[in-house]
Amino acid sequence: MENDTAAKTVPERGAEGSPAPKKIVKARRAYEPAFAREVFKNVDSGEEIKLCMQCGVCSGSCPLKKEMKYSPRKIFTMIRAGEREMVLSSPDIMLCTSCYRCKVRCPRGIPVIDVMHGLAHYALEQGFEPRHDSAQFGRKFWDNIYKKGRVDETDVAIRYTLADGLVPSIKKGLEMQDLGLQQLLHRRLKILPIRPIRGAKDLKKMLDKAAAAKHGRKA
Amino acid sequence: MKKYFLYPGCSLEASASHYLISVKAIAKPLDLEWVEIEDWNCCGASVSYVGANELQIMVLNARNLALAEAAGGYDIVAPCSSCYVIENKVNRELKANPELMAQVNDILAEAGLSYHGSLEVRHLLDVLYNDVGLDAVKQAVKRPLTGLKVAGYVGCQTTRPFGEYDSVENPRVLDELLAALGAEVVDFPMKMQCCGSGLFLTEMERSMPLVREIIEDAEAHGADVVATACPMCQMNLEIYQGKINKALRTHFRRPIVFISQLMAVAMGLDSNRAGALNRNIVPAKRVIMKALKGAATQVKKPNEEPVVIGRLTPQQQYQAFLDLTAAGDNAQAVYETMKKYRLDPDGVKKIKKAVEEGTLVGPSD
Repeated sequence: MENDTAAKTVPERGAEGSPAPKKIVKARRAYEPAFAREVFKNVDSGEEIKLCMQCGVCSGSCPLKKEMKYSPRKIFTMIRAGEREMVLSSPDIMLCTSCYRCKVRCPRGIPVIDVMHGLAHYALEQGFEPRHDSAQFGRKFWDNIYKKGRVDETDVAIRYTLADGLVPSIKKGLEMQDLGLQQLLHRRLKILPIRPIRGAKDLKKMLDKAAAAKHGRKA
Repeated sequence: MKKYFLYPGCSLEASASHYLISVKAIAKPLDLEWVEIEDWNCCGASVSYVGANELQIMVLNARNLALAEAAGGYDIVAPCSSCYVIENKVNRELKANPELMAQVNDILAEAGLSYHGSLEVRHLLDVLYNDVGLDAVKQAVKRPLTGLKVAGYVGCQTTRPFGEYDSVENPRVLDELLAALGAEVVDFPMKMQCCGSGLFLTEMERSMPLVREIIEDAEAHGADVVATACPMCQMNLEIYQGKINKALRTHFRRPIVFISQLMAVAMGLDSNRAGALNRNIVPAKRVIMKALKGAATQVKKPNEEPVVIGRLTPQQQYQAFLDLTAAGDNAQAVYETMKKYRLDPDGVKKIKKAVEEGTLVGPSD
């Protein structure tokens, strides 16, 4: 196998009226298992990728497929091809809404969602930020759970709004203010911050211990 | 009286407070007792993967299971679909994997807790359908929702991924429960479509088309209200309607309610104190009451008039019947006929039934 065939495109046919030139992206190199091994080892549920047979049912079932550049099927094959940067920086690995359609339809029973969440978690750990807003929101959400044991929706929303400095905060805040007001008027918003659960300290200890044990599936 | 552990979850404490109120209200008429898990914690929902690894999420949920197990042996009922899925997933994995259970118990021991896998985690709909049963629900109904057209929006996590009590592709539990309340259930294809979930807040322009499709479809099938059993679905479908109207030039003002709210109304409980309908941002009470009143006045009319479908005369109706018979199984021809006479599928059924029963006859020859 040629080891370093560059990405090739079909030469453009310049003449007007001819069909739009179609890009054919060829693999840049032969399959490179190092990244796949890294994923199997470090990503939660990463080993499930081994089962994938590239049928594409997951991609076809995804409600947000049309918003994606790389569908789940492509992500899986890119992992096998060793495209580390492309996979871990792709915003598409953080677009999952957890609707579980891919999971119930996958003929091999791969929990595609768990793999995607695992990949996103790993990407963030490795210093990539596939999707800035979602990452900020997720961090604030988890902070709440970690500190209080429960999620205080108001607190998360405020922290998320203020996460990115003054100007974006004001923009986001203005966008969201009517929603907050509506919720408040209908008594669906808590004004006072919730108190931590009684076992919050113990919970923190447990979560720290679980974090130290790293990837849970080894058991 | 059957006892269950209620695991309300964070949403029901705030943005879905009307769900919690109505769920608590329907317990008594259905002879159920909810016992809240003492000092429960959040399940982590579907976004905590950003900050937590899988083991942390397992521990988080195992703590709830351990607390419930120590307090008694009832099933855990989660009205929130996300809580149900995550808590259930952890429970199933722990039961299936003794080594994982040992690892998690080792961590739970930090707080003097342990879990032995004796509990089941179930969705509210599961309990209503399988434990309470349709007959008992029908018996508890004092004010049937006759005349109210309800679209049962199931969403994602209410049945997926486990499909323990309902089909993951073609669910009917929600619809059957709504029908047991006396409501007219409208079937609509988008009832399993994703609403965008937690993505709505961060990726609004990507999620709006999803919700638009759902509400549009429910309206096209004639729904007065959309009923759901998931706090995330209710919130996404309801509170963003104004934003969607602005961005996508729609005119939505469709009430989105929880099935438990409709149950409270149908059981004759107070629509605000028990049904919490005053907490719906898109007003639902008026729409529901109007439909019920309309049905009440309709019932009084003698129901012996000849079948009239739309503005068709009996001759036209009979001609339509002949055309439909001629069309047979040819879908295109049937469609053309329906278009010609402006018939909907209901009208077609009515015409066929009328001919069968002999109330509609052709010109005597």
